[in-house]
Amino acid sequence: MDALLDFARGPFFRFSFAIMALGLLRVIVLDLLGAYDAYRKAGEKDLPWGLIISRSLQWFIPINRVFKYRPIFSSISILFHVGLLLVPVFLFAHVHLWKQAIGFGWFTLSKEWADWLTILTIASGIALFIGRVFTRSSSFLSRFQDYLWPLLLLVPFISGYVCANLTISPKLYQLLMLTHVLSAELIFILMPFTKIAHCVLMPLSQFVSNLAWKFPADTDDAICTTLNKKGAPV
Amino acid sequence: MRIKTNIITPEERKKAFAIPKKPEVIERQRLPVRYHVEDYDVEDRPRRFLQAFAAILKHSSYRLALDHYIRSTAKCARCATSCQIYQATGDPKDIPCYRSELLLNVYRRHFTLGGMLKGRLLVTGHLTDEMIEEMADSFWNCTACRRCALECPTGIDHGLITHLGRYILSEIGIAPRALVVSTREQLEGASGNTSAIPVPALLDTLEFLSEDMLEDKRVEIKFPIDVEGADYVFFPAVSDFLMEAETLMGIAAVFTATGDSWTIGTGYFDGINYGLFYSDRMLERIVKKVDAETRRLNGKNVLIGECGHASRSAKCFLPTYCGYKDAFPVINIIEYTHRVWKEGRLKLDPNVVTEKVAYHDPCNLARQRWIIEQPRELLKAFCPNYIEMTPNGDDNICCGGGGGTVSIDEIRPYRTTVGGKLKADQIRACGCEVLVAPCANCKKQLRELVEDQGIDCEVVGLHDLIYKAIIFDDSLKIPVEKKHDTLKEV
Ligand code: HEM
Ligand code: SF4
Ligand code: SF4
Repeated sequence: MDALLDFARGPFFRFSFAIMALGLLRVIVLDLLGAYDAYRKAGEKDLPWGLIISRSLQWFIPINRVFKYRPIFSSISILFHVGLLLVPVFLFAHVHLWKQAIGFGWFTLSKEWADWLTILTIASGIALFIGRVFTRSSSFLSRFQDYLWPLLLLVPFISGYVCANLTISPKLYQLLMLTHVLSAELIFILMPFTKIAHCVLMPLSQFVSNLAWKFPADTDDAICTTLNKKGAPV
Repeated sequence: MRIKTNIITPEERKKAFAIPKKPEVIERQRLPVRYHVEDYDVEDRPRRFLQAFAAILKHSSYRLALDHYIRSTAKCARCATSCQIYQATGDPKDIPCYRSELLLNVYRRHFTLGGMLKGRLLVTGHLTDEMIEEMADSFWNCTACRRCALECPTGIDHGLITHLGRYILSEIGIAPRALVVSTREQLEGASGNTSAIPVPALLDTLEFLSEDMLEDKRVEIKFPIDVEGADYVFFPAVSDFLMEAETLMGIAAVFTATGDSWTIGTGYFDGINYGLFYSDRMLERIVKKVDAETRRLNGKNVLIGECGHASRSAKCFLPTYCGYKDAFPVINIIEYTHRVWKEGRLKLDPNVVTEKVAYHDPCNLARQRWIIEQPRELLKAFCPNYIEMTPNGDDNICCGGGGGTVSIDEIRPYRTTVGGKLKADQIRACGCEVLVAPCANCKKQLRELVEDQGIDCEVVGLHDLIYKAIIFDDSLKIPVEKKHDTLKEV
């Protein structure tokens, strides 16, 4: 068990982290390459930057989201994201590990804050899952991964919370710690290949959607040729 | 304020979704949708769909958005809250994200590496005839108003997907007959416009309107024809010549008051561009006609009348297809009228229009925040009882006839019970007596909507009201006796 945990914490952590980082980098690069190509071909290139920026910011300043439609869902989703982002990055225990590995650390959450945030994340994750199952519009749209994600994300939070706060037998502790580490690594690996890629793609969304309307010039002729429709009546 | 609507009753549903086609036609065309299509090759539909999709992808930039969307769609169902179609039907198949997924699925399966591998391995998911039928139905249930795009955190523009879906379908022959026939007349017919108006009839109409206005205002208000070197070459939705005389009169009156040079070209005088609704190829061809006529007349600017889609297709795509920076500048008539009013060259009487007036934002003018404040400033300047209808501006609710659906007469029951239901409730809640909709599409749809929904409200164009309230300089007025002389001359 010890060897396994060491492996999970050592080489496998580095592997999964690299997959995540490179994978997310890949989707960004593909997006930017696509955007470059579209921009190059566009017959008209005046992008509405004001609109793009203000509509992008709208999604990062939560107020708008909460008060327009679906206020409950939005609030829960925001809490969920706050926990998802803050706890893993700023937990004392995690920063400590980074410090040992790379020589420096950063700001950490107090134990109390970390505990509360963890509980909030768990509660909001469960709420999101329940909401998805019982809201007709959401459940109709949902694919397997949409149900899986809120639950999968909770595994490291719950196991981490238990390990940090409850007195359990060393055997159980080890088992839970292994679960904690491996589930987090599974999440890392899946992130770039599933909808969680939104964490890096979202800032580009409004830009992409606006650029997508900038069509290349003179496609009529080319498409007619390809489809063998030259001279065909309308 | 948030407008909510109730889901339609089963009877309304039956009425709205009734298919007005003969069973043998449906059988022959294998297309159980409400709009009429011309006969097309039904064999091998999926293969031809994919072939058209591939050709379009090859020569366009749609891949960018498709790739981005399939990677990031969160399936959060937010968009459901803002689609007027889903709000009215409550049918999950009308959730924008579901609608887009129909096409995104085909893209994922047939045009991405992962999808192709998975499809080969599991031998599933390839495009079938049923999927094409569902798309043919779904993409014409949507009005491409793009309101849902504002609610999508991952920025998915369902209007773009609807646009692309219709484009591909049209390449295999599936597009509403009403639009195809009009476009054919416009591009290949003798009249060269979607309403098939011959030039002599056009000139007659305009002369008649001028006489009318002379009688009414004691001012000589002309529609200048084929004036070379004019500042503005005017392209209204051509149907305005038949149905929106008052809008045209208002526009002519404004030009008479300012004295700026404008003209209608007899070579081409149609702003309508159904290409925006079903085919980029047609979009390009039609826009090029606008360019050619402006060039022929040596005009300086392209001026589009009160029409949302005509304005957007010229504003956004004239530069695309006709030389980018070298293309003629495009302005909408509201922008012009607003500017001359600001400059003090247009006087409006605040005592003429006293009804409760509200403004409807056409999606194609407001969604991208192009024209929102100008018409409001104008209306507030001369309508003392102006009221706001909310939500508005770039979050406006579609009239329910957008995306070309208003021109498909056989689906009127759908448009006025489903498409326009949320709008109808909004109009009721706002309680206006006069609803200003500066768009030929919106006007037609809203009139049918208030009629079918039994709402007591008059739908007019912005320049219809301006015509009523315009104050001419005394120097333009023709004395009463002289007026009779002029009339006799004519
Ligand atoms: C800067 C980073 C991120 C941003 C801006 C962001 C934004 C969003 C948005 C806008 C949604 C749509 C639902 C809503 O409106 O609330 C969403 C959903 C979701 N996000 Fe994120 N996200 C980020 C990072 C992450 C990360 C790192 C994860 C997980 C590792 C994650 C997991 C999820 C999940 C599971 C959902 C679906 C929730 C549901 O079931 O409804 N997000 N995110
Ligand atoms: S574009 Fe308009 S009609 Fe179409 S799905 Fe979106 S909100 Fe609904
Ligand atoms: S709002 Fe966007 S991500 Fe959410 S369900 Fe609709 S299209 Fe999908």
